[in-house]
Amino acid sequence: MLWVDKYRPKTLDQVMVHTDIAHNLKQLVSEQDCPHLLFYGPSGSGKKTLVMALLRQMFGPGAEKVKVENRTWKVDAGSRSIDLELTTLSSANHIEISPSDAGFQDRYVVQEVIKEMAKNRPIEIDNKGKKGFKVLVLNDVDKLSREAQHSLRRTMEKYSSYCRLILCCNSSSRVTEAIRSRCLNVRINAPQEEQIVEVLEFIGKKEGLQLPPGFAARIAEKSNRNLRRAILSFETCRVQQYPFTVKQTIPPMDWEEYISEIASDIMKEQSPKRLFQVRGKLYELLINCIPPEIILKRLLYELLRKLDAELKHEVCHWAAYYEHRMRLGQKAIFHIEAFVAKFMSIYKSFLIATFG
Amino acid sequence: MDMDMDMDIPLPEELELLESNSHFFEQEQDHHYYFPELDPAELHSQQPPPDLAASPEAESSGAHKRPRPDSPEAEKRAKVRVAAEEDCLRHSPSPPPEEEEKSAEVRVSIEEDWLHYSPPPEPPRETTFAKEKALSRFASEIDGECMPVTAPNGDRVYAKLNRFQGEECVTKLHCNGYSAALNSEPINIILERLEQEAFTKALEASSEGQSVPDVPEAQLVHEQLWVDKYSPKSFTELLSDEQTNREVLLWLKQWDSTVFGSEIRSTSDDVLSALKRHSSVVHNQKPLNSKFPRTNRGSKWSSGGRYINSRNMDESGSSKSIQDVWNTKSRNIGPPEQKILLLCGPPGLGKTTLAHIAAKHCGYHVVEVNASDDRSTSTIEAKILDVVQMNSVLSDSRPKCLVVDEIDGALGDGKGAVEVLLKMISAERKPDFGKQSFGKGQPERKSSRKGSKTASLSRPVICICNDLYAPALRPLRQVAKVHIFVQPTVSRVVNRLKYICNKEGMKASAIALGALAEYTECDIRSCLNTLQFLSKKKEALNAFDIGSQIVGQKDKSKNVLDVWKEIFHKRRTKKIERKSHSGQSFEFDSLYSLVSSRGDSDLILDGIHENVLRLNYHDPVMQKTVKCFNNLGVYDLMHQYIMHTQQMPLYVYLPLVGITIHRIVSQVQKPNIEWPKSHQRYRTVMMEKMDILKSWHHKIPPHISRHLSASSFVEDLISPLLHIVSPPSIRPVALQLLSEKEKNDLAQLVSTMVSYALTYKTMKLDVLPQTVKCEVADGLSLSLVPPISDFINFKDYTSNHYVLSLAMKQVLVHEVEKNKILQVNVDKTVALANGGHEVIETGSNSIPLANTDHTTVVDTKTNENQVKILARQLNANPAKVSSNLNSNKSASAADSGELPNVENMKKPYRSSSSFFDRFKKSNVKGLQRNDRSLQEEATFEKDRYPLLFKFNEGFTNAVKRPVRIREFLS
Repeated sequence: MLWVDKYRPKTLDQVMVHTDIAHNLKQLVSEQDCPHLLFYGPSGSGKKTLVMALLRQMFGPGAEKVKVENRTWKVDAGSRSIDLELTTLSSANHIEISPSDAGFQDRYVVQEVIKEMAKNRPIEIDNKGKKGFKVLVLNDVDKLSREAQHSLRRTMEKYSSYCRLILCCNSSSRVTEAIRSRCLNVRINAPQEEQIVEVLEFIGKKEGLQLPPGFAARIAEKSNRNLRRAILSFETCRVQQYPFTVKQTIPPMDWEEYISEIASDIMKEQSPKRLFQVRGKLYELLINCIPPEIILKRLLYELLRKLDAELKHEVCHWAAYYEHRMRLGQKAIFHIEAFVAKFMSIYKSFLIATFG
Repeated sequence: MDMDMDMDIPLPEELELLESNSHFFEQEQDHHYYFPELDPAELHSQQPPPDLAASPEAESSGAHKRPRPDSPEAEKRAKVRVAAEEDCLRHSPSPPPEEEEKSAEVRVSIEEDWLHYSPPPEPPRETTFAKEKALSRFASEIDGECMPVTAPNGDRVYAKLNRFQGEECVTKLHCNGYSAALNSEPINIILERLEQEAFTKALEASSEGQSVPDVPEAQLVHEQLWVDKYSPKSFTELLSDEQTNREVLLWLKQWDSTVFGSEIRSTSDDVLSALKRHSSVVHNQKPLNSKFPRTNRGSKWSSGGRYINSRNMDESGSSKSIQDVWNTKSRNIGPPEQKILLLCGPPGLGKTTLAHIAAKHCGYHVVEVNASDDRSTSTIEAKILDVVQMNSVLSDSRPKCLVVDEIDGALGDGKGAVEVLLKMISAERKPDFGKQSFGKGQPERKSSRKGSKTASLSRPVICICNDLYAPALRPLRQVAKVHIFVQPTVSRVVNRLKYICNKEGMKASAIALGALAEYTECDIRSCLNTLQFLSKKKEALNAFDIGSQIVGQKDKSKNVLDVWKEIFHKRRTKKIERKSHSGQSFEFDSLYSLVSSRGDSDLILDGIHENVLRLNYHDPVMQKTVKCFNNLGVYDLMHQYIMHTQQMPLYVYLPLVGITIHRIVSQVQKPNIEWPKSHQRYRTVMMEKMDILKSWHHKIPPHISRHLSASSFVEDLISPLLHIVSPPSIRPVALQLLSEKEKNDLAQLVSTMVSYALTYKTMKLDVLPQTVKCEVADGLSLSLVPPISDFINFKDYTSNHYVLSLAMKQVLVHEVEKNKILQVNVDKTVALANGGHEVIETGSNSIPLANTDHTTVVDTKTNENQVKILARQLNANPAKVSSNLNSNKSASAADSGELPNVENMKKPYRSSSSFFDRFKKSNVKGLQRNDRSLQEEATFEKDRYPLLFKFNEGFTNAVKRPVRIREFLS
């Protein structure tokens, strides 16, 4: 078991990073009312952990007994019926799904699941006099299609007495205004580096490790304020060389290394030939399921590191321009390559202008 | 004159046609000399039509004879011809009844012998020799020299010899006497053929002899299409590419041994040698090449790259290789290796004609199946069997040759033809292979032997298609000999067109015809149709008409490769066009229609994307590249928008992207196009990897996997995880030898692997480059399953991941397997014993300690009990464990005395498949305790029982002991 999972806080009390949010959530639940919630923030900041802890707070330890199910729904969509298959995680009191897995049919998922949940209302309402609702956790709401979000809007209101939604996403900008206004928005920031250091030191203490001064800080710095990554690389360091040394290398992510190789390729030569080679490498990254946005972002980061300050502004502008187009379009490779070509063009003319 | 103009273009491939044409023109000249006021319109309106088209053949043969003035026969013929013409000309306008028959006969007989289009009837006053009696039944009626002429039907007449005329001929012919060397075939073959042809023609002609003088009716017959009227009647007239023609003929000739048996093979040799000689004659005209015909040998012939070579084909190479093929051919007997010939090419180049002519030339009776026929599997099979295996007894005893026309055109039913052919070929391949070599082609016996079961292909089959890459043809392409037709050169087409125009009395300049041919891309069928249409309208063809609406342009979609070529290839525009603006707009139009008629804009853009960076365009600061990619981006946005909003009308704008890119990067030099594979590959491979990730995600117990999304796997998890699962510090030794700390590390590692559903499996050696590093004894190695190391295995990238040794991996596999088995059981027992969630609490808190000190592990009495039962089961058979679970469960439930819990457990157990995973959380913690205790137990068990055997797939770590058989039985 990895440390990431081992030291994941199970209750809202154990939470170390977003303590204030955890506190608020706890109060929210204790008042026996829970609005729809929208958690958003970058990956590795602890959204899921908070959600799980919140569920546990609501329903007690029973919320942790989950089963995985591959369920199929038959949906009547006008004249034809659609078969949907989706993996759900469910306990007695909640269901967790990633509706975006269903692709363009995600809106049927949203509608059907909520209706079904509303139909089988839990009966404990009389026994304990509380929690007459189920919770539906929807992951990756920002990847939901616009139609699905619209259909979600109505169902949210209609069934709100039986069913609370917890939405989870990276960026709230892709969630429609209507949904955002129906939820309590909870922004989960990426943890501060100091917070990460704190967590790492806590883990180190639990594991009985000797941490040299500044080591945790270095890991935190390298982790890009991603707690998951920080803990993982901490464990990696532990595995590679235990009595830690101050100068110990923190192994980098392989794909990031690869992108920095690409960036240095680009800096070395600017020509259509080189662009062709770069294309091959970009394809390699894409093949390995690395999202194109992240490639573009990282590539920009790597390029900026080696770039003259004069050009940084322009390059950033073009990166944003091409990322926008990439999101509108379909073939990411066209746009990433277009960015690389643009960068090459800018950089080369800059070189010619300055060095003749 | 025309001829002189032709002489200016001495291209070798034209020379043959030129040769025949030159005589034709010369002859025309002769006629003009005699009948200067001849009206062409009148000419073809009054002619009896059917014999016309055969004329070039006859002429060429005539020409072969004429240049030998010492041959008396030729001389005589030359004179007789003229005299006979005079005779019939004189008679025809007002033939007396009794003479009419005679003149018809004479005309037929003489004319057939040698000239199939007769000069038109002519008012006698215009001839200089009109007053003389030139032809008669009786020699006495002719004054002066005369010679007897016998027609094939036995009629004999005497013809006057006109000395003056003969000399004229001779002097005329001497000036281009070198053409004697152009004789393609030996004289006796030509004579033979002529005689045969003449005979059949005479039969036909005599049957319609009555209608000959009936001029008004002839108008109706004249209505036939020029395409049919002037279609080539013999091999030498074919307009298609010389080399293709010969190859087709050769292929057909290779069937001779099977079809005709050995006795006719001699003629085939004759023909081949004739061909050979013919091509060597061509050499003589091109002295540079002819001197060293053997030096540059045409290796290209043998390769499949006909498409590239054929355009600028080298005569010497081809002739040489003909010889080669011929030599090899004489060595091996039997049908050619590929039993089906597949001709393909754009419409109107004469594929069907070639197939028919070549088959006829080789003595086959052609049976054609085209798209209009019923082509379902059953009928086509019957038909093919009929053609291929039977000999017609009644009408035509020649063997048949099947021509399947338009084989690509039909879907569904049309595939029947392909299927049947393939079946026959595959049937042929296996049983026949050995016998073919000595069983020297006895078709009758073979068919009777095989007709019962498998039909074999013993007659040539020629398939014709337009699109070689039609999906229906894919299987056929592999077994058939494929010939791709290329356009004949424009001058060749123009020559033929000019000839036909002259025949039809249409005025057309060579320039206009050239423009026409270029416009239709040398589609001679459409050229002829256009010409005929114009001639009907009594209009003359001029060069300016071509672009206008009179001539329709073909609406055919090009091969997508050609589209890319067009986009990347800048045409050298002619000077006039370049100056005017219309040139550009024409280019725009043609490109637009090209791209849009192809339709598949996605594929086209992919191809552009794939190839644009390989072009050599001048681009110092990458401006052009940026523009190109911006355009591609625009395309992508537009396409996405159209798909999203279903605004199909916007599709008209998509081809513009291609045109813009054409403007930016097109080059004069030919681009080297590659098929766009990378995007396709990217998609499929990414899907595969996504599937791997997903299935992995599902395998991981939910309490871990719920926190991870697929993208965070690759972004955050995999690289560190690979480091973690391959710690460099651990030693590959037996467990007992490990220090306490190492044992902990190992336990930690194993639990990580289990919780992330990782294990090692034996793989083939070549899968990963990493495996090369570890010492591999027996060619096998262990690699991670699921193959997550592939996700960081980028091209040209070496990660510095430590790789465990093989021994260590084996230890790990063993441990992981053991752990999994334990887990299943411990899950149960622990969950039952402790009734659910409390374990989680205790587990998470006590594990670090529990690991270090295993004596404290066994905390409850019940737990120990479970483990004992468990260990015993383990020893028996791991596979049985699950089946025993129920009893185990009830027993343990009784032990712990928590019956209600059992009921609780049972329900989810039935409903969910991954029941065990649900308790993994508790288990993984409990496991580490139980692991140690289990080892203790195991050694304990080992001592108690005399025999311990555990079977593990793939490797053995069983304890070997001498065992008596009774121990098994006890």
